[in-house]
Amino acid sequence: MRTLSYLLREAWANIWTNRTTTVVAIFTTAFTLACVGVFLLLYVNLRAAAGWLQDDIKVMVYLSEGIAGSTVSDIEQQLRADRAVGALHFISKEQALGEFRAQFPSDSHLLEGLGQNPLPASFVVTLAPAFRSPDAVRRWAERVAAVAGVAKVDYNQDWLDALSTVIRSIEVVAIGIGLILSAAAVTIIANTIRLTLFARRDEIAILRLIGATKTFIRIPYLLEGAVLGALGSTCSLLMLKALYELFRQQMRTTGRLRGLEQLTVFFPLSICLVLVAIGIILGCAGSFLSLRRFDEAKV
Amino acid sequence: MIQLVHVTKQYDRRPALCDVTLEIPKGEFVLLMGPSGAGKSTLLRMLIGAERPDAGQVFVNGKNVTTLKGSEIPYHRRKVGTVFQDFRLLEKKSVFDNVALPLLVQGISRTDIKRKVTEALRAVGVEHKRDQLPMSLSTGEQQRVCIARAIVNGPVVLLADEPTGNLDPALTGEIIDLFKLINARGTTVVVATHDPSVMTQVNRRVVTLVRGSLMPEQRVGV
Repeated sequence: MRTLSYLLREAWANIWTNRTTTVVAIFTTAFTLACVGVFLLLYVNLRAAAGWLQDDIKVMVYLSEGIAGSTVSDIEQQLRADRAVGALHFISKEQALGEFRAQFPSDSHLLEGLGQNPLPASFVVTLAPAFRSPDAVRRWAERVAAVAGVAKVDYNQDWLDALSTVIRSIEVVAIGIGLILSAAAVTIIANTIRLTLFARRDEIAILRLIGATKTFIRIPYLLEGAVLGALGSTCSLLMLKALYELFRQQMRTTGRLRGLEQLTVFFPLSICLVLVAIGIILGCAGSFLSLRRFDEAKV
Repeated sequence: MIQLVHVTKQYDRRPALCDVTLEIPKGEFVLLMGPSGAGKSTLLRMLIGAERPDAGQVFVNGKNVTTLKGSEIPYHRRKVGTVFQDFRLLEKKSVFDNVALPLLVQGISRTDIKRKVTEALRAVGVEHKRDQLPMSLSTGEQQRVCIARAIVNGPVVLLADEPTGNLDPALTGEIIDLFKLINARGTTVVVATHDPSVMTQVNRRVVTLVRGSLMPEQRVGV
């Protein structure tokens, strides 16, 4: 217990002795991590938006011309039994014509020239959430298209693919930028710890001579790195939250992107805690790097 | 207790120790004499595992220091007390905290630390200065604190590198008397010095190093 209190006091002494450097390091780390956070926030929002858009995806199952009513019932039963189907709605040929006329009143004369109703009966299918990924939708559509009595299965594949490509690209960019800026944060913290190590090199030499183990000597500096990382990541979250609120307020006051305001999300508490934990890990990594170099140099 | 067998060490092709063979039995008091650059500090640093010989073997308290792993060296140093010419005290810590440091790194309990530090400070005569900072003490008192820190663990060997280098003759005598007292309690003491006046105050074995080589031994006394 006494040893623990000594190590904590030493860590605090390190921070206090180099308080200016420490504050600069915390803010530099915070800005660096905030840049990573902006991409992460963008990614989280796009993922959320993708979720909402995917909820809206409807798959049209068009039935063949002139099939018997019993076949339509069979297809409906088959679809209802399918666990990929979340909801189902039948549109008869007459209903389809009515909807066309309602939606395109000026073009309805085009159909009259044909004599008979050319629009097919269809089922409008909303897929269950687990089956809304582009691949799952494609596989399901291919399977249903092969059912007897089904003429065509249609959905907005291009839109779905484009959305998924954008999300993947943001993911890759966020990971790439995250890695580069995390390395920058580690370097900033490592340099701060190096200054502390240099300032206390005599003390470390004494500790070595009186039989202190490497772990005992390292712990206060690892704690210092952890504190720098934790404070840096917390500050970056506060900066991001302020930016996020500013953005929402701008949307409200200017009226631009109206509606999107309710759709934007900030990190949930669990993600905030993970980000602080990542800051702590980066801080410890920075300390560890400096301690290794210090050990090798044997100042 | 201490044994060096054909120990050789060079720094940038300059010899620091040349084929040194030396044996110091348990409980002995040895003066390691020689001019600056003779290799005294190198020899002492080898005894605590801070230097490794280019050739030869170094044994302390039955352990071959030459073959100790890096992780074993701290535990070896806990059995060897070290005193320095420049004291090497932590300026921002009290006398008590400085002396407590070797016990703290071993995770000794608060009660034992208090008892052992008080005993060590009493043994060197600076118990009344326990709450002061080292810089507020005289050089003689600082050296006493340094000795208290070296003996607080109850080491089997006490090594002192030029312990009187910063002291006047009267204080030198007091510090040497302190080493004799520690030696009388059974601790093996090795004092390295270039000051011939120390020799006249110690009636013990004298080992002389000149340019890294051992000279024939002598016993000197008042």
